[in-house]
Amino acid sequence: MKRTVLYVALSQCLLWSAVAQTPRKTAPTRPAAKPAAAVSKAPVSTPAEQPAARIKFTEYDLPNGLHVILHQDNTTPLVAVTMMYHVGSKNEQPGRSGFAHFFEHLMFEGSDNIKRGEYMKIVKGAGGQLNANTSNDRTFYYELLPSNKLELGLYMESERLLHARVDEKGVETQREVVKEERRQRYENQPYGSFFPQVLSHAFKVHPYKWAPIGSMEDLNAAKIDEFRDFYKEFYIPGNAILSIAGDINPEDAKKLIDKYFGEIPKGTKTPYRPNVKEPVQKAEVRDIVYDNVSLPGVFQAYHMPAQGDPDYYALDVLQTLLAAGESSRMNKELVDKQQKAVQTGVFPLSTEDPGLFIAIGIANMGVKAEDLEAGMNAEIEKVKKNLVSDAEFQKVKNQIETNFVNQNAGVAGIAESLANYKMYLGDANLINTELARYNKVTKEDLRRVANKYLTKENRVVLYYLPKAMEPKKEDKGK
Amino acid sequence: MMKAKYILAAGLMALGLSTQAQTLDRTKLPVDAPAPAIKIGKPVSFTLANGLKVFVVQNNKLPRVAFSLLFDYLPIREGEKAGYVSIASQLIKTGTKTRTKDQIDEAVDFIGGSLNTTPTGVYAMSLKKHTPKMLEVMSDVVLNPKFTQEELDKLKKQTKSGLASQKDNPAAIATRVSSILVYGKDHPYGEPDSEETVDRITLDDCRKFYETYYRPNIGYLAVVGDITPEEARPMVEKYFGKWQPGEVPKPTYEMPKPPAKTTIVMVDKPSSVQSMVYITHPVQLKPYTTESIQASLTNDILGGSGGNARLFNNLREKHGYTYGAYSTLTSDRLVGRFRANASVRNAVTDSAVGEFINELKSIRSSKPSAEELKSTKNTFAGNFIFTLEDPETIADFAINTARYHLPEDFFSNYLKNVDAVTVDQVEASANKLIDPEHAYIVVVGKASEVADKLKRFGDIVYYDLNGNKVEAPAPGKLTTSAVPAGLSADQVINKYLTAIGGKDAIAKITDVTQKMTTEVQGTKVDIESKQKGMTKFKLSVMAMGQVVQKVTSDGVKVKEEGGGGQSRASVDDEAKIEILKNAIFPELLFATMGAKTALVGTEKINGKDAYKVDVTLGKKTISEFYDVETGLKVQYTAIEQGPQGEMAVNTGLSNYKEVNGVKFPNTLTQNLGPMTMKMETQSLVVNTGLDDKEFTVQ
Repeated sequence: MKRTVLYVALSQCLLWSAVAQTPRKTAPTRPAAKPAAAVSKAPVSTPAEQPAARIKFTEYDLPNGLHVILHQDNTTPLVAVTMMYHVGSKNEQPGRSGFAHFFEHLMFEGSDNIKRGEYMKIVKGAGGQLNANTSNDRTFYYELLPSNKLELGLYMESERLLHARVDEKGVETQREVVKEERRQRYENQPYGSFFPQVLSHAFKVHPYKWAPIGSMEDLNAAKIDEFRDFYKEFYIPGNAILSIAGDINPEDAKKLIDKYFGEIPKGTKTPYRPNVKEPVQKAEVRDIVYDNVSLPGVFQAYHMPAQGDPDYYALDVLQTLLAAGESSRMNKELVDKQQKAVQTGVFPLSTEDPGLFIAIGIANMGVKAEDLEAGMNAEIEKVKKNLVSDAEFQKVKNQIETNFVNQNAGVAGIAESLANYKMYLGDANLINTELARYNKVTKEDLRRVANKYLTKENRVVLYYLPKAMEPKKEDKGK
Repeated sequence: MMKAKYILAAGLMALGLSTQAQTLDRTKLPVDAPAPAIKIGKPVSFTLANGLKVFVVQNNKLPRVAFSLLFDYLPIREGEKAGYVSIASQLIKTGTKTRTKDQIDEAVDFIGGSLNTTPTGVYAMSLKKHTPKMLEVMSDVVLNPKFTQEELDKLKKQTKSGLASQKDNPAAIATRVSSILVYGKDHPYGEPDSEETVDRITLDDCRKFYETYYRPNIGYLAVVGDITPEEARPMVEKYFGKWQPGEVPKPTYEMPKPPAKTTIVMVDKPSSVQSMVYITHPVQLKPYTTESIQASLTNDILGGSGGNARLFNNLREKHGYTYGAYSTLTSDRLVGRFRANASVRNAVTDSAVGEFINELKSIRSSKPSAEELKSTKNTFAGNFIFTLEDPETIADFAINTARYHLPEDFFSNYLKNVDAVTVDQVEASANKLIDPEHAYIVVVGKASEVADKLKRFGDIVYYDLNGNKVEAPAPGKLTTSAVPAGLSADQVINKYLTAIGGKDAIAKITDVTQKMTTEVQGTKVDIESKQKGMTKFKLSVMAMGQVVQKVTSDGVKVKEEGGGGQSRASVDDEAKIEILKNAIFPELLFATMGAKTALVGTEKINGKDAYKVDVTLGKKTISEFYDVETGLKVQYTAIEQGPQGEMAVNTGLSNYKEVNGVKFPNTLTQNLGPMTMKMETQSLVVNTGLDDKEFTVQ
């Protein structure tokens, strides 16, 4: 009956999935898996230092342009077959927000050879698990299977890429399902709308201004022909990475990959990649969202560089300093000592185009949003003013090292990380070498990036306040 | 298209011709490679002299080591201090005899480790190179905790904030109310925590919990990762060898019973855009039994996760009612539970409940097909293999074998036993464990939109989120939502006093005489109210020239006289409540009378948000409602003894007019069962110098 309340489930807010993720049962609390969106944040220890942690893989291109990555690990008889398509909500047209995620749902409707309703049934019936999720930048599908079903996984993914079923019936059913997903996770959930709200306030022109779930209006407007065009444009071999990890023999796997993916034709279109630069924000953006909450929430978002930028790494280290672990600055000061907050968190978005460094605080009972925000700002000011001590800097590095090791605990996570590194940073081997980039970050860098990015002019501040505190309905407009 | 191609290929084969050898026939699913061998490792185990059972699973894949300690005791009934077990277990990590909380946090984070304490265990993990340090901190926390009031107060405050935030979360409400119903408020799984129960928790409660249950003789320690048994043993001896065993209680509990018939439990949440539907009842289902294996398959067919079960296919894929519909059959040593759930949009709530019930009935009335069962078994086996990727699973298997006294080969035979389950057993299991005729259908949502259409499934009873029965929300009066944080009852009351003219102006009012009229079933009724000072009053109700009711207070005693000559006098708390109900400005009396006030939330009163403040004196509570915008009091609600027992009487206050700088409500409405009485003020005068004699009570 008594349980710990998670006020804002961050991982829940960033990705939008075909099927709800079921929480895994845990005996005593074990460390939670990191949100997939932050997957590239954990750095890698150097191979010389930790030979056991090194991830070996092979990669190559098929003639049709499909990139393939294979990682062999025969410890447990299971295999993760994953496909990452380089299309997310940022590739959507204005007025069609939510399209990429909606489309992801359609990809479970079947193919020329797989009848409607059979896709999940076949994989589940073979003892597999499957799901997919859509972020601002990409769409990710996976099957986790007993390793003797590798061929089935390849068949299923190749059917999706070759000739998926895109029909009226599927569109109409999934339209309702997606709208329910939106209601369940965004509208009927305290603070559930924070991510779309933060984005819409932070971006004026860049398509990051809408979240992967899209708006009800746009979901209603999506038409069947548009889905067919979308499929032709983005679901082509050259726009995807097939990443496989687990109990495989790479040589056999290559033959099977050739068998199922070799015959898929190259696409005829060039996928749309928005070339939009968000103008520099010149003044602080503030707003209040009246929601069904009782504890005020403060959501700050500072514009920051894209993943892979040297400053991105510095900001990620700064995130660890501020919010990772009980002794992290925000937790220690705001939750533990001043008791202004029940939860604090910081997460830099790992996005392909310049993104956001988001800081969150949920107020303790009786604490005003203003007071909590002042406390959060004070922590940022400290980082701007003073260099961290050697001991604290070492602590942060140790935390980062552990994160890296934990990240590679399962083959599904490894397959996804390899694809991520390749798709966004062009180098899958960063799964082994990215730590060097983190190690380059100095104490001075932390202070420098704090002063450069964590400024008032560069941020959006949203308060989530109880609806009862809303002054007058008329003022709010629609 | 697909069929034509298939038939053509088959035709060619019949003619002894082959289709092009290289062309892939995509109409057929690939053939599986031979099934992989599944090996379940065995941990090395040993027991310390103090009874701690240790299981070591060596796995060098990652350079890390995890220590997972589990305490095996029966759940604790917490009673009026519900929540203390959870708080106590968190408190254990907030100080030791030699370390402050800051030092513990710092030590753990410095090595990049993690450390958690829960009611049933402790978990610590770090890279291998930091293992000795990690263990040192873990054992210090487990063996030498120091309990301080300061840390307890912090945790209590956080817990209460958590409780407040649950009120906004439909899923949390549904879970809470379901547990209260399924297990009962007197069962450890059903007793709800609340602000009051958390307030009662003392340092001593926490210390006792620790001293009783954090004992090695009921402990199982799993050591998993890059460590050999030879390395592990001396470390465990060193850090946990001195830990003293102790006697641990073995309570027994009554088996919760399902409801006599299916009942719709509506929890009104007016802001909801979806209904959270839980269909649930208790079951008797012990873990790690033949029955529980059958139950797992039965449930997976009906509502297992991942997208191929009947509920998912029906409610989502066929009807598009929901993002997902699922069910669970939980086994447990004390009492298990069945639950089917989904979030569905308001408009289809009843249709969704209908489909739920169809599926629950259907799995009882007919056997699954052999194909459906086979496919479910495959999924089950796959999931079993996936759990083996985590080496902690191996430790869990060994620990559960010991805890539940299972045969040594229970987990190595597990998949064999799963495979042996028949369609008849699934049918029997469904009939025993899933019962749509004796279930609670808990719906958390917007009652005004969904409740009416649910009546066809059973009687509707309304509950609040603490599992108390409440009245059905009348139109215009909907249940409480969100307590605004940062706002107190005192602030609301002060705002009201300011709104009616301020304390100074109020102080200048010494007496009030108010005459009102109303009509009851065609008869004109006159009401005269005289009030003096804070606490003296006389209320006379006259109809057809006769006094039908008179209530007098001399400030201490209250006397009620009816038209037929009967009378009733009250003293003490009862009198005080009567005075509060009738006084001109009861707000000024709360403190001196010792009444406790609590801001419980906001409700819509006549379509406008109003703060609800509960005023409690002894066992009696009245609720006052203050308009959020104007600050004025718009209603008070008191429980009155009516002809059919207790009923809530709402008195609405409106049409405020100023007299001598103070605003008085000139229109009062009162509901008496189905009737509503509207009292209009004819005259209201103040400071006429009323005589004390008017207010004598014999």
